[in-house]
Amino acid sequence: MTLPALLVLIAGLGLIGWLVARAKAQRLNTGRNALHSLPGHHGWYLALWIMLPALAGVLLWGAVSPGLIHTAVLADPAAASLPAFDLERDAILSEAYTLAEDPGASAFNPGAEQLVPAVIAAKSKFGAMGAALALILAFAGGGFGYTRLSASFQARTKVERVVLVLLLAASLLAVLTTVGIIASLLFESGIFFSKVSPIEFIFGTHWSPANGSFGAVPLFWGTIFIGAIIAMVVAIPLGLMSAIYLTQYAHPNVRRWMKPMLEILAGIPTVVYGYFAALTVAPMVRDFAVMMGFDNPSTESALAAGLVMGIMIIPFVSSMADDSIAAVPQAMRDGSLAMGATRSETIKKVLIPAALPGIVAGVMLAISRAIGETMIVVMAAGATANLSANPFASMTTVTFQIVQLLTGDQEFDSAKTLSAFALGLVLFGVTLILNIIALRVVKRFREAYE
Amino acid sequence: MSNPANNWQSPEAEKRLAKRYASERRFKLLGLSAVGLSMAFLVFLIGTMLIGGLGGIDWAFLTGSDSTEPDSAGVWGAVKGSLLTMIVTIVLALPMGVLAAVYLEEFAPRNRWIDMVEVSINNLAAVPSIIFGLLGLAVFINFLGMPRSSPLVGGMTLALMTMPVIVIAGRNAIKAVPPSIRDAALAVGASRVQTVFHHVLPLALPGILTGAIIGMARALGETAPLLMIGMRAFVSTPPSGITDPATVLPMQIFLWSDEVDRAFVQNTSAAILVLLAFLLTMNGFAIYLRNKFETRW
Repeated sequence: MTLPALLVLIAGLGLIGWLVARAKAQRLNTGRNALHSLPGHHGWYLALWIMLPALAGVLLWGAVSPGLIHTAVLADPAAASLPAFDLERDAILSEAYTLAEDPGASAFNPGAEQLVPAVIAAKSKFGAMGAALALILAFAGGGFGYTRLSASFQARTKVERVVLVLLLAASLLAVLTTVGIIASLLFESGIFFSKVSPIEFIFGTHWSPANGSFGAVPLFWGTIFIGAIIAMVVAIPLGLMSAIYLTQYAHPNVRRWMKPMLEILAGIPTVVYGYFAALTVAPMVRDFAVMMGFDNPSTESALAAGLVMGIMIIPFVSSMADDSIAAVPQAMRDGSLAMGATRSETIKKVLIPAALPGIVAGVMLAISRAIGETMIVVMAAGATANLSANPFASMTTVTFQIVQLLTGDQEFDSAKTLSAFALGLVLFGVTLILNIIALRVVKRFREAYE
Repeated sequence: MSNPANNWQSPEAEKRLAKRYASERRFKLLGLSAVGLSMAFLVFLIGTMLIGGLGGIDWAFLTGSDSTEPDSAGVWGAVKGSLLTMIVTIVLALPMGVLAAVYLEEFAPRNRWIDMVEVSINNLAAVPSIIFGLLGLAVFINFLGMPRSSPLVGGMTLALMTMPVIVIAGRNAIKAVPPSIRDAALAVGASRVQTVFHHVLPLALPGILTGAIIGMARALGETAPLLMIGMRAFVSTPPSGITDPATVLPMQIFLWSDEVDRAFVQNTSAAILVLLAFLLTMNGFAIYLRNKFETRW
């Protein structure tokens, strides 16, 4: 019996159990307040008792049966001719498994085809045993659940306990994701750092994975130069001034239209920005560099990538600035205006200083967003690791290298591919620190004015 | 300096005042030009794509699949890959996100464990997307051995990325339901679970759906994590299931932008227009939902 069919069967039994239990509860319902719980709750109680043990059985059997199938196939007379050497034997066996799944597949080892009948036989035998186990568990659970049903039985409490466990499990998934990210990055970086010393990785100034030199300083510099310097030079003034204009000067109707328009900038996919940076902005930047008297500037420049990234970040900066300016109490603004200050003086001397923690937090979130940005730099920044402060030079970033290292066709456990995980670990660590500090600043700032 | 009233009329004071008003006007102009510059960039970007791509959109382009010939290449294969990926994402992320939001907002006790859950959800929403790609590569493909380049793995990776967005939107929507609704349900004998699932959740649903659509729109435009799990295959026939090798719309744009043949430039811009049209529709729908069902309590 195949797995989907078994699952459908279990669900069907659950449905029958639901109907049976509800019918029984309705029979028990002799009058007002006779039942503790609604008939539907009794139904769910029995359905859960049928499905949960059966599903647990399926899971358990799924973990155990491959080992049993393996032993059974090896015990088959056809397996007697297999070589005793483990590695070779396992290769033939795995081919036999593939052939059993898909008869059209071509076999490399001639011995594999002889094993196919044994594999199919063992699979169907243990599959049937697993299905039988699941059904026995379903009926046993159902039988036990059915005997518990009575008019005073508190089915609702029991069912809701299961619901709460389900809710808790869903919220633990977020923690599991975080743990999964940290564990997988640490694990792969650990293998990498057993091959390359961490000191060389963090302080080395030469990056050339193909030749085995893994000094990541040029990547860190490129990331900071593009994401935290050029992009912020564009995004902070434009974002902050847009927020100030839209909150303090613009007519409410203008604001209602302009704010969503500005937010469209954040909604455009990064691959579109990357294409735009590479196709339109980069040639302009190169022409500008020629005009400025640089010799032979490259088409891929840090400036083109940083400029476009800065535009993308504007809505982040402006919405954070917007929130923190709005959080400044009206009394402070009124006080300044009443003293005779003009609006721009009030903004510069009162509102911005008061809103500064929130604005700084917004800028930190924007930086963490910019240094993790991938597609724009992949399409516009270039591949050569370059330690220079010339914005017209081609520069590479951490995210660019991760993509570069992992999209080729190379073996998975070479130092070259593993270094991508070490870069990922650094990126994750830096963005995590920026986010935690920023979130904490925002929280404390909100409390200060409440 | 005997009478301060005279100071207001003195020529120095007038000059100082004029200077302050001039600086006020300069500041306002600066703000206006910041907004104007941002808008100009948006118009320039969309204008460039429209001029470059509008000519490339026809029926053959919308129904064709990827090809080495720019003239016969189309986006349907990539659109179908995107749809399959999005289905996997929403099926996983929406229930999980809503259940987690319900737990955290309605049932969670205040303790260190729950603080950890909250911190990790807030952080996950700000983790760079490429990190999720590394997670998908390490866990789903290398550890669990799932098929590379498939919408299944892509959808699962994007679901992990979208779930925190849905949880945060869901919590805000649930928080906005007034306590009087809960009190009324509890007062007539409903349990807390019944209160939440029969009364609070239906009222919070428009807000949750708005958040979910915005999260899905973000996932639809995402390229970097899918690059990590190998969804950059050349796919000349549309995928028929969630385990087939596939590519998605943003990835198709990336692949075409890398082509040496200049004729692919028009295809790239046209594919960008298709992607933007999808995103615009989704965001428009989210705004419509919010305006239609928003209740001020």
